[in-house]
This record gives sequence, structure tokens and C-alpha cells, in this order.
Amino acid sequence: MKPRSLLGRLTTLASLPGRIGQRIGLFDHTPDGLPPGAAPPRHTFRWDLDKTYLRTEFDSLADLAKNAIENAADKQAYPGATALLRALRQDGHRICIVSGSPTQMRQVLAAKLALDGVDYDEFVLKNNLKNLLRGRFRSLRAQIPYKLPAMLQSRIGAAADAETLFGDDAEADAIIYCLYADLVAGRVSLQDLERVLVASRAYDDDALRILDLARRVPRHDAVNRLFIHLDRRSAPVGFRHYGPRLVPVFNYFQAALVLYSDRVLSARQVIFVALEMLDSKQFELGHLATSVQDVIRRGRVTRETALQLTAEAHDAARSGALSGRSDLPPFEQIAEAFRARVRELGPIDPYRFEAMAPLDYVRLVDEEHEHRRVRRRRGDP
Amino acid sequence: MTAMHRIVVDAMGGDHAPDEIVQGAAEASLALTSAEIILVGDAAVLGRLLPNLRHDGARVRVHHAPTFIEMDEKPAEALAAKPDASIAIAADLVARGDGDALVSAGNTGASVLACARRWTLLQGVRRAALAAVYPTELRRGEKDDPFSLILDVGATIDATADDLVGFAVMGSAYAKLVSQNRRPRVALLSNGTEAGKGPPSVVAAHAALVETTELNFIGNIEGLDIPRGVADVVVTSGFVGNVVLKMLEGVSETVVRLARYAHKERLAWRLGLIALSSAIDQLKSITDWQQYGGAPLLGFTHPFIKAHGRSNARAVANAIKVAHKALAGNLCGNIARTMAELDERAARRPRSTGDTTGEPAGS
Repeated sequence: MKPRSLLGRLTTLASLPGRIGQRIGLFDHTPDGLPPGAAPPRHTFRWDLDKTYLRTEFDSLADLAKNAIENAADKQAYPGATALLRALRQDGHRICIVSGSPTQMRQVLAAKLALDGVDYDEFVLKNNLKNLLRGRFRSLRAQIPYKLPAMLQSRIGAAADAETLFGDDAEADAIIYCLYADLVAGRVSLQDLERVLVASRAYDDDALRILDLARRVPRHDAVNRLFIHLDRRSAPVGFRHYGPRLVPVFNYFQAALVLYSDRVLSARQVIFVALEMLDSKQFELGHLATSVQDVIRRGRVTRETALQLTAEAHDAARSGALSGRSDLPPFEQIAEAFRARVRELGPIDPYRFEAMAPLDYVRLVDEEHEHRRVRRRRGDP
Repeated sequence: MTAMHRIVVDAMGGDHAPDEIVQGAAEASLALTSAEIILVGDAAVLGRLLPNLRHDGARVRVHHAPTFIEMDEKPAEALAAKPDASIAIAADLVARGDGDALVSAGNTGASVLACARRWTLLQGVRRAALAAVYPTELRRGEKDDPFSLILDVGATIDATADDLVGFAVMGSAYAKLVSQNRRPRVALLSNGTEAGKGPPSVVAAHAALVETTELNFIGNIEGLDIPRGVADVVVTSGFVGNVVLKMLEGVSETVVRLARYAHKERLAWRLGLIALSSAIDQLKSITDWQQYGGAPLLGFTHPFIKAHGRSNARAVANAIKVAHKALAGNLCGNIARTMAELDERAARRPRSTGDTTGEPAGS
């Protein structure tokens, strides 16, 4: 090991209080943004962690306790999510993680991502200890006043031409992501944002900070795709009013299919997502074929795209994407199973989205609060 | 991961189809992680219904069928006129190995006929039997199941002694698996409990069943023993079984009508019924057929669960779970194995002719 210089040791020592402060949650970890002179990213992918990337239960106190003591190796990623993140990273895209997990979990979560080989540019966690010490109990559960400024701050630091967001159906991700998308596109005015922040019961200083960030964020219609992982298996129709840009997915093969359709992923990368899912033993080829049929029925991917993917995947398989996979049937057999699933649908027309009215975010926030109250009353997770 | 079982569901069959059927399938997709559910029916209609429901999109798929058979259509004629009806395509899918079991709440005759024309009988089984469940006084098995199984209730009309023995084997295997009843009590329905009572086929079947060690044969029972729950599996010919089942249903309906009459007629009777209402509700929940899901058509190489025509989502979900249980427990394999054992024993000794003359009915 190379001996460290005195200056290096002193620098490390000087940063120790800050690092301890961040570790125990006294100080916030602010994303660094782009290094000076660096080119802005082409495409930024923002990911939530719990219930989006990681299979996490936090519906009871026991679950919370289990999460807190679980080590990195025990944490489970959803099948296909790791392969998808790696594929995006390999293509040079920017990966920003914004999670509602407490800052005290940073070390174990970072270790989990490292174990999975997932590299990222930003990793923001929620400083709930600070909220607790300041008596801000509303902030403990509130998501909009936490996630929205985190994403705006990140975009101010590194504004990409395109953004894709990944969340889940456990909390208000769909509302927050759409609000963020419309804000950066300039479709939501500051007055409307203020009303949304009042409805979401943001503290005054938080609201002022968010309004300031919204004023400064570079305007561009950048967010063209939002994925909601249906961890609760919510009915997909519940997300239809958000329009075609938001795609509820039951698994990451479906997300990969849509990203292939958006020309973000190649057929080869879709194969890698599929292989990771098959290796998890939670999915079989039949499930993947059925997942294709599902997104076609819901009008998220066309039959032509699915068939084109099958053809391109065939080429990828011939060039070695499936080499060493003696556990799988010959690719032509797999391709035929996928084509058969598409044919099973008969001559139906896919679902067509109607022209979308602007979203009324105040109403959406009120409805979300009401749903949460009802769920709590019923004792639902 | 455990083996994946593909359960084909006729989504257009039943009084409340397709809405309740699709909802039941959606519920089952969340409960059964090792099952794939194939909904057969109008893909446009099913594709509109599914996104409204909580379900697992990787475990429910749609197979298009442009037509369907109404509940009141004549089975043979309807199947001839509509070869692309949902039940015909569903039975086809299973026959050609694209599905493992079938569930339908549709036209019973058409469903049974569609399976009979496309599926093959298990080795050693001469005739398939349609079973029905009936709530009884006594409970059975690890699940404390209040339902006994009666078969055949109309897959065919007549039954020989060999057919009745086959029905006994199939009913016992099913009760073992679904009611988790280790040694279900099997009985022949006759006009007396003595071995010599009943028509020749029943007498001969009695003689054969007494010899079996594979079954817990308790002898003959009479009609009044059915609601008492003396037997867990009641074996009879399709003609008798159908008459018995309809009569039992008629009696239940009459009791309900009489109670309604009493409720209207006198204040004292009404008060009495109100006092009993919680007990009646409990009784209703115990004997709720919807929790059972459906009754099986036994004897083919694949399980078929016939759900009640009036099935709601819960009943359909339970019928799918029963089909899954039949597959997971290798019901058909168990029946075939027991039939082979019986055949082997029968081959080792001289067989009874089955034309024994029984004592006259009512003696």
C-alpha cells in the first residue's frame, strides 16, 4: 500500500467531522453536480430505491426494524433492475438516486449498490434525523417537499437533454415525477406550484426553497418517460390519467421493452435484463412472453416493435448474447413462443390514449392524502 | 422455483362473465405465484377489464376467442355451430399441451362435452365423472371441510360396477388432496346399507370395493345419510347423482322460502328468526359454496374444475386455486396409479360378473 502524504492525512482528518455528521444524519449530503468544464449529460436516469430497485418492506414497525439492521448482502434487488441500471450506465448515461430512506442507511445502501456493480453519479437520502430534531414531524412522511427539491437541485447542477424517472406505486412517485416533468418543461407556473406545496403541507421555508429552485431550474421538455414499478400490483388504470409518458410496469423486462421502443436500449441489452430475471428463478420464459403481451394490450409497445425486437434479439443471440446458456432452449424456440403470445391477442386494436388534459396537481395531492388515510384506517400496508 | 402450472380459464362462461371471471383470475394471479392464468375469450373485452384490476401482468395472459356459448344453449348443437367458442378453444389449449388444467363457470353440458371430445381418459379409467360438493353436518379432513363429494352427477347416465369403482378411486383421490383428508370415507349410494341392496351394478361394485385396501370403503349409505355427512365421498351413477343433487338443492331452496314465509306471517316467528339470525349467518358462511370454488370433472389426463354458473370473483378465484392444488398434488397421476394397482389386483384373481341380482328397492 502506498504511504499517504501528511497533507492527505490532514485533509482526511479535517473532513472527519463532516463525514461523521453526514453518517449520523446531522448534515445533508449535497450532490456535487458536474465537475467544472464537463459536458452536460445526454440522458439522466433518476431512480428511487425502496420498492423500485430494492425489494423493501416498510409497512410495519417490524419491517422498519428489519430494514435498519439488514446488511447489504441481505438486501434484494428486483430481478432485472440491476442489469437495466448497468446497461444504462455502460451507455454513459447519468444515474441519480433519490431515495426516501434515512441518511443513516447510506453506508449499507451504498455497499449494496457496490455489491451489485451499480455505479451512480448522485445518491440523495432523506435526513429524517434533522427533521426529528427540528420537530418537523410532517416532513418525516412527506415526499413532495423532499423529492421535488432534490431533483430540481440535481437538474440545476447537471441539466440533461432527456430524463427518465423510475419510481413505484407505494407512495406519491407518480405525482412527484409528473410535477417535476411539467415544472422543468415550463407547463406548471410558480403560482400553481405554490398551491401544490400548500396542499402537500410543506413547511414555509421548504416551500420558499422549492419555489426558488423552480425559478432557477433550466427549462426544457426533458422528461419524456416515467416508469412506475407496480410493487403493490396496483391496477394500471389508476395511472392512465397521467398520460402515455408514464408507464406502469409489473417488472423490469417491461421497462426494458419500453426503453427499447424509445431507442434507449438495444435488443442485446434487453436480453441481458431478461437473463437476469430468469437467473433470479422468479421468472420463466413464459412470464417474459406474457409480460410482452401485457404491454402490447395496454398500448405501451406496438406489436411491430415486439416483433422487431424478436428479430433483432435473434441477431444478438447469433452473435453470442446467449452463449454459455445451455439452460435455455434454442433461440428460435424462444422467439416463436414470444411471437405466439402476440398472435394470441387476435385482431384487437391496442389501447389508444386520448388527448391529455393538464393535470390538476392540487386535486391529485388531496386524493393521495385521502387514499393514504383510507389505507391507514383499513390497516392496509 | 416450483413448477409453473398453466390454468386455462373460460373467461366468457358464467352468469356474471366476463367481469367476475376476470376479477377472480386477477385475484388468483396475486395469490398463486407458481401459476400462469390464461383467460380465453374476446381479447378486446378482456384487455379492457384487466387493467382495472389489481393483478400480476406477468402471470395473466389473454387468448382470443371470438365467440362463446350461452348458459342456456344446447351443448352439442352450440359446440357444432361455434367451433371457435371460448370453451372449445380453452379445452383445445389444454389438449395440445398449452395449458395444464381448465376452469369454467359456463354451460356445464358444453364444458363437459368440449373436454370429453378433446381430452383423453386416464389409463384404467373407463368413464369420466362429474363431481359436486354438498354441505353436511359432519366435517372432515385437516381443513375441517363441511363439504362431501358426490359423483357422478351427470357426466354420463348409466354406470357399470367397474365405472362405480373408478368413481370411488377418483373421488377418494380428490378428497384426499382438496379436503386434506388422509383417508376419506367412501360409500356407495343405495336403497339400503346392506351389501346386497341395490341394482346389480351397485352390488357388484360393493363386492369389488370391499376388497380394496387403497380406499376407506364404508359400505352403502342411503339418501338421508348424504346431508348427515356419513361419507366423505358418495359414489353413484350419473342419473341418480343428478336427481339426488337437484333434489337436495330443491330442499334447500324450499327451506329458505319457508323461512321467508314465516318471517312475513307472524311477529313471533319473525322474532324467532331474528334471534336465530347470527346462527343462520354462521351456518351460511360454513356452507358457502363460493369458498369451495367448483367441482371437478374427474377421469381425464387433465383436471377440469366446473365452477357454479352464478360464481362471483371469489368463487372463480377459489376454483382456480382448486385447479392449482389438483396440479400441484398430481391428482391425475394419483388416480392413474390407484387405478393401475386395482387393475393389477383384479388381474390376479377371478372377477365378479357384475350382474348379481339385487334385492328389490324399499325392502
